[in-house]
Amino acid sequence: MSDYQYDNQTVKGFIVSSIFWGVVGIVIGLLISIQMWKPETNFAPYFTFGRLRAVHTNGLAFGLGVGAIFGLSYYIIMRLAKRPLLFPKLARFQLYLFNVGILLAAVSLLMGQTQSLEYAELEWPIDLAIVILWVMFAINVFGTIIKRKEEQMYISLWYIIATTIAVAVLYIVNNLSIPAGLTKSYHLFAGVNSANVEWWYGHNAVGFVFTTPILAMFYYFLPKSTGIPIYSHRLSIIAFWSLVFAYLWTGAHHLVYTPLPDWIQTLGIVFTIFLIAPSWGSVVNGYYTVGTDWSKMNTNYLTKFFIMGITFYGLQTVQGPTQGLRIVSQLIHYTDWVPGHVHMGTMGWVTMTTAASIYYVIPKIYHTEIYSEKVANIHFWLVLIGQLIFSITMWITGIQQGALWKATNADGSLKYTFIETLTKNYPYWQLRTVGGLIFTVGMLFFIYNIYMTIRKGSLAEAKA
Amino acid sequence: MAEDLDNIDAFEAKETSHKLPVGWLILFWGLIIWGVYYFVTYSPAISGWTQTKAYEESVKK
Ligand code: HEM
Ligand code: HEM
Repeated sequence: MSDYQYDNQTVKGFIVSSIFWGVVGIVIGLLISIQMWKPETNFAPYFTFGRLRAVHTNGLAFGLGVGAIFGLSYYIIMRLAKRPLLFPKLARFQLYLFNVGILLAAVSLLMGQTQSLEYAELEWPIDLAIVILWVMFAINVFGTIIKRKEEQMYISLWYIIATTIAVAVLYIVNNLSIPAGLTKSYHLFAGVNSANVEWWYGHNAVGFVFTTPILAMFYYFLPKSTGIPIYSHRLSIIAFWSLVFAYLWTGAHHLVYTPLPDWIQTLGIVFTIFLIAPSWGSVVNGYYTVGTDWSKMNTNYLTKFFIMGITFYGLQTVQGPTQGLRIVSQLIHYTDWVPGHVHMGTMGWVTMTTAASIYYVIPKIYHTEIYSEKVANIHFWLVLIGQLIFSITMWITGIQQGALWKATNADGSLKYTFIETLTKNYPYWQLRTVGGLIFTVGMLFFIYNIYMTIRKGSLAEAKA
Repeated sequence: MAEDLDNIDAFEAKETSHKLPVGWLILFWGLIIWGVYYFVTYSPAISGWTQTKAYEESVKK
């Protein structure tokens, strides 16, 4: 077996693990979406909304997201560095540890262990395991890039490097805590400081898990699958540096109208609005690239995944900054609008782009073709429709919720009780479950397609 | 079978590799200028604006 083949199997391992945790997370997503309008579907104590919601978010961000990021980053690095991974065995061990880690994480969340910090729920022993995992990743990323056989570094490598460094710093700082036993700890920061650090982390989890590594995939797999080179190298570099610079200042937009000092909120908002420019740098670059030959949208089945993905990224990066403005935040903050925003990003941009990258990689690893482009097209339309239903229903009910909360009588008292504003969500929550179901069916088509491609590839290899 | 490794030239369009679309440049600099304006207007130490004052005024109305 050649070195590349060994590493390719590791890449495949990460992809398959990522898909596995993706299924778990999505099924739980469906369940919690039902729990919100049908309380009997809560099964105490382990399978209640409070515990399952964290399994959903962690399972998809760390299981589906990070699993795919590990695998696809390795794939990209090897090809751009023109060499196998520097430490192939370490990468393989990292794959095993990754799966054990995610499993332990899920179990601990089901047991109710939590640091009570969103996206940083996992308690300190699991945090330690995650840090070790990340160090292993960093060793291979930096090692392989330093020992690369191609001098020039393509933009995707920069995005992977930024991801590696930023996630390490964010994760470690926000998880600093004082242990009080194996399953309990207290955040090192207290009160407003705790909130500020938490959302500095929380927003940059979006920035460096759901944005930079996905952009690395976009910049790599778009030219690979279409055969069209990226429109402007300079634009991609300027967008990269301004994006990573601005992102780290923006966490305070999650804390608008809180006790956080006014000037910190203002500074956060300034950088938040500025983020439109670097984000749209990539969007424009993507459009101009495919713009040289739009017929690729029809002739190459992956092009529409990437173009739709970058379109949702573009929508997200206008919607997100707008949400940070005080005048908008006061209406939509704490409402269902926010999950609407979230899932346009996670379903429309992250999952769409990752799935397309996987469609590209799996046949390449097996030197074969995709099992069925038709199935891929069905997958595309179903996830697109499912995601749109999810986002649109949540936007409507979010605005309604915000408006009802703010409605006052002439004497200043509230017009609606909380429960009145809550029950108005029900029809929209039910529709969201329908949207989620459609999305899930779409993902099943994706998995079937990947499974059949792997099967076809292994059979051909066995014969050869 | 040989691995297909990448030729970096295939990733970057030659004629347009240094281009920056004008619309994008306007956006980029425009947002920086807007940021300065916004920071000055909504920083208590510079303009005297505070969240609390803004709230009190809105209640008075
Ligand atoms: C069938 C598909 C899905 C369904 C039905 C679903 C459902 C849900 C529900 C009901 C919530 C809780 C909202 C609330 O507390 O009001 C949620 C939150 C969340 N989901 Fe999903 N989800 C799905 C797919 C995904 C995917 C693919 C990802 C990530 C890759 C994801 C990431 C998240 C995140 C980050 C949150 C937290 C949002 C927040 O705190 O505002 N979801 N999801
Ligand atoms: C320039 C880019 C973006 C900006 C400035 C931005 C801004 C924001 C803001 C202001 C909120 C808080 C809403 C509130 O609670 O009032 C938010 C929430 C969120 N956004 Fe974005 N967004 C951006 C892009 C994205 C992308 C691409 C994703 C990808 C999935 C994403 C995922 C999330 C998540 C998961 C939350 C929920 C956090 C929570 O649990 O409360 N955002 N975003």
